[in-house]
Amino acid sequence: MLARLPKNLPGGVSLILPFLFICFSFSPVLSQGIEAEVDTLDPAVPDSELVVAAPVTSLIASDYKYDNGEVIELSWVPSIDDQLVGGNVIGYSLYRSENDGEPTLIAELLPGVNNYTDEGLSRLSTYRYTILTLTVNHETPSTMTAPITPEREWINFDKKYLFLIALIIGGSVMFFIETARRGKKLFVRKIAGLEAVDDAVGRATEMGRPILFIPGILDMDDVQTLAGLTILGRISRIIADYDTKIFMPVSRSLVMTAGRETIKAAYQAAGRPEKYSDDMVSYVTDEQFGYVAAVDGIMVREKPATVFLLGAFFAESLILAETGNYIGAIQIAGTARPAQLPFFIAACDFTLIGEELFAASAYLSDEPKALGSLKGQDVGKALAMVIIVVGVLAITIGQAWHVDFMMSLVDTLTNIFSTK
Amino acid sequence: MRRQIPLFITFFVGTLLIFSVFIPPMETWGEDFTLFFDIIAVFAFFLGGGNLMRVHFNKLTRRKQDWTYSIVTLAGFFFMLVLGLLKIGNPGGIAASVTAEGSWFQTMFNDVLNPLQSTMYALLAFFVASASYRAFRAKNREATILLVAAFIILLGRTPFGMYLTAWVPESFSVLQIPNLAIWIMNSPNLAGQRAIIIGIGLGVVSMSMRLILGIERTYLGDDSG
Amino acid sequence: MEHFALWLAAFLTLGIVSFLYKDNPWYKLCEAIFVGLSAGYWFVVLFWDNIYGKFWVGVFPLEEFDEAGREITAEPDYWLFVGAALGILMLMRLVPNIGWISRWPLAFIVGSTAGLYLINYFSSNMMRQVQGTIVPLFGAGYDASAYAIVGNIVVAVGTFAGLVYFFFSKEHRGVFGGTAKVGVFFLMLTFGASFGYTVMSRMSLLIGRMDFLLGDWLGMIK
Repeated sequence: MLARLPKNLPGGVSLILPFLFICFSFSPVLSQGIEAEVDTLDPAVPDSELVVAAPVTSLIASDYKYDNGEVIELSWVPSIDDQLVGGNVIGYSLYRSENDGEPTLIAELLPGVNNYTDEGLSRLSTYRYTILTLTVNHETPSTMTAPITPEREWINFDKKYLFLIALIIGGSVMFFIETARRGKKLFVRKIAGLEAVDDAVGRATEMGRPILFIPGILDMDDVQTLAGLTILGRISRIIADYDTKIFMPVSRSLVMTAGRETIKAAYQAAGRPEKYSDDMVSYVTDEQFGYVAAVDGIMVREKPATVFLLGAFFAESLILAETGNYIGAIQIAGTARPAQLPFFIAACDFTLIGEELFAASAYLSDEPKALGSLKGQDVGKALAMVIIVVGVLAITIGQAWHVDFMMSLVDTLTNIFSTK
Repeated sequence: MRRQIPLFITFFVGTLLIFSVFIPPMETWGEDFTLFFDIIAVFAFFLGGGNLMRVHFNKLTRRKQDWTYSIVTLAGFFFMLVLGLLKIGNPGGIAASVTAEGSWFQTMFNDVLNPLQSTMYALLAFFVASASYRAFRAKNREATILLVAAFIILLGRTPFGMYLTAWVPESFSVLQIPNLAIWIMNSPNLAGQRAIIIGIGLGVVSMSMRLILGIERTYLGDDSG
Repeated sequence: MEHFALWLAAFLTLGIVSFLYKDNPWYKLCEAIFVGLSAGYWFVVLFWDNIYGKFWVGVFPLEEFDEAGREITAEPDYWLFVGAALGILMLMRLVPNIGWISRWPLAFIVGSTAGLYLINYFSSNMMRQVQGTIVPLFGAGYDASAYAIVGNIVVAVGTFAGLVYFFFSKEHRGVFGGTAKVGVFFLMLTFGASFGYTVMSRMSLLIGRMDFLLGDWLGMIK
């Protein structure tokens, strides 16, 4: 049987007991007890041929900080016989006992390993751990850890700086939104791709040809799709005013629903609800290249004058953009996927690069509040730029001339911006 | 009210998930909500699939241009639904995975969908060539920079790049095309990527806040419902 | 059967490639097959994965036992009914007078996407990248080669200038405009590098299909 420790002991006893426990657990009696429990010894091997390794030492189980009480971290010093050259340890077996029950094997570890994170535990149970050091024909148990119960923390203080910086930037966005709401005029520079939206819609109207809007191939759970839809909202207003034909083939059913709501709202706002039709948005298929095959077909058959490619795109970006180019459409594209941006730049007339995609709807909006959010975004950029300049200079000077102050500044910055 | 309730839902759920990141007992809520999304998306497919059927039935019944192809689309759609939902021709029966090897459903994927996907994907080779040609013809400074960088990286990944600049002395080895390509990838490319990625991070913060605060709400439609 | 599959694959492959010449009935047929089959395929896969695999099995877990024969069946997760309820609300769109209720699940999705992305993107895109840029220009022990020093300077200056380009609050004029132009230079280099890096992999896709047509199908190459 495993040695059991009483749960509530007077202070002095609780200090002595672990010591006694450690000494005792090294005794052959207890070792045999554990070995018998986990059925480790091979009786067919004579004692003289046994390859015996020293046990792992300093096995410590500690509660993982800032979780929901489901994780315990274990660390230990590997067996002194765990050596690359001349060692005889072939691995470790980690056993866990729940509520002083029978120990069960939870992991088999390679030589050299000195820590383990035990996940998926219950904060209503207590746990104890032991490790068997394995040789080719023998297993040496370590001491058993003291009982431990994983604890739940309500606030993750590891993320305090993330919270703080997010608060500063989120606060700036709110501040500028509020400033704009109070009527203060905010300056935002011209963004070429967005300045071209009016002309692009006007061109389609003049030519009597439709506009094709492609919101990417991801669903509503991607923020780029949401960005594409918010821009669709602004473009639809212009389209409704000009009474231009729009067609939006989509690869996700939810995007179809949201797209219809968006366009319908624009027609309603323009006072032309009768001009709206559900046929403006239609579902094709969830399959990436099946969707591309269909959209390519639509492009060459319907010959839209303007193509908007705004959302999340993958390999299909170039196929779509080149086909649009081939039919002579004006193309305005935007995505936050850096790998696809070069293809849009090569094949489209205007490209919204990353951040510009998210800023577009605010830029096109006639609502000052939306514009205010862009200012808040700039505060974040300014902060990033200052930190980069200060950080790079501090670490360069600090290391070159061994300036402790600079190095502690770097440590602070690195600590603040590290994300666990 | 028809707009107020959805706006409140967006605000409530959005705010909850922002704070969930900092509260360990709520840390898994994001995953749970993603699970909800997966379930909603399948229900939504009834709308999407229904729309697909409606569009092609309309084309068929009104004998619109290319209506004959709509027969093929509809037949293919129903065929896969029947094969997959009833698991017809699945060696393991109804209990087996629908995509089990040897099932008729998976065979359709392997023999029909797979070649279609691969070929559509392979068309990119032609489109990359035409896009490169266009970039080559562009006469502005930005396009030239893009093209030169692309050319160096392209050559740097082929033995030809090594062959071309093998004569460069070892002390100037950085100018050998493969090394230059590595340097471009690790330095200027990294800088550009970083600027784009940081910008995206901030853009997402700003846009998410506009959505949560209800400043962006066009996706919710008009008030009339 | 295998022979038929090979010819079918070749027929479909050439049908898709024919689009490069111009839109034609062969391509239209392949497109129709592609759209119909793939839409059905994905619905079936999503149905079994999500409705059965995630919802049904989540609410009514399958009995499971470990190696020792002990029952390790998961606890039922009744919260999944929230997802199903939202899904059903989505279908209210089909009911004329209460179609507006379908906006609730939409609002839920938009709210959760915005909430999840806000902190995740901020943490991984902004915080981590800023931290990654804080590197000593002359190497850790003032021992970097000229090659590395130039590289480090380029990374720091390029990131800074790139951020200046994205600044919305100030017109790109004067020193600020000059820095933004440097930013554009870096962005174009980045796009060029990505472009060049991808070209080869795209070519290999074509080679793969050629290999199928000339090797597997026609047997011209072994």
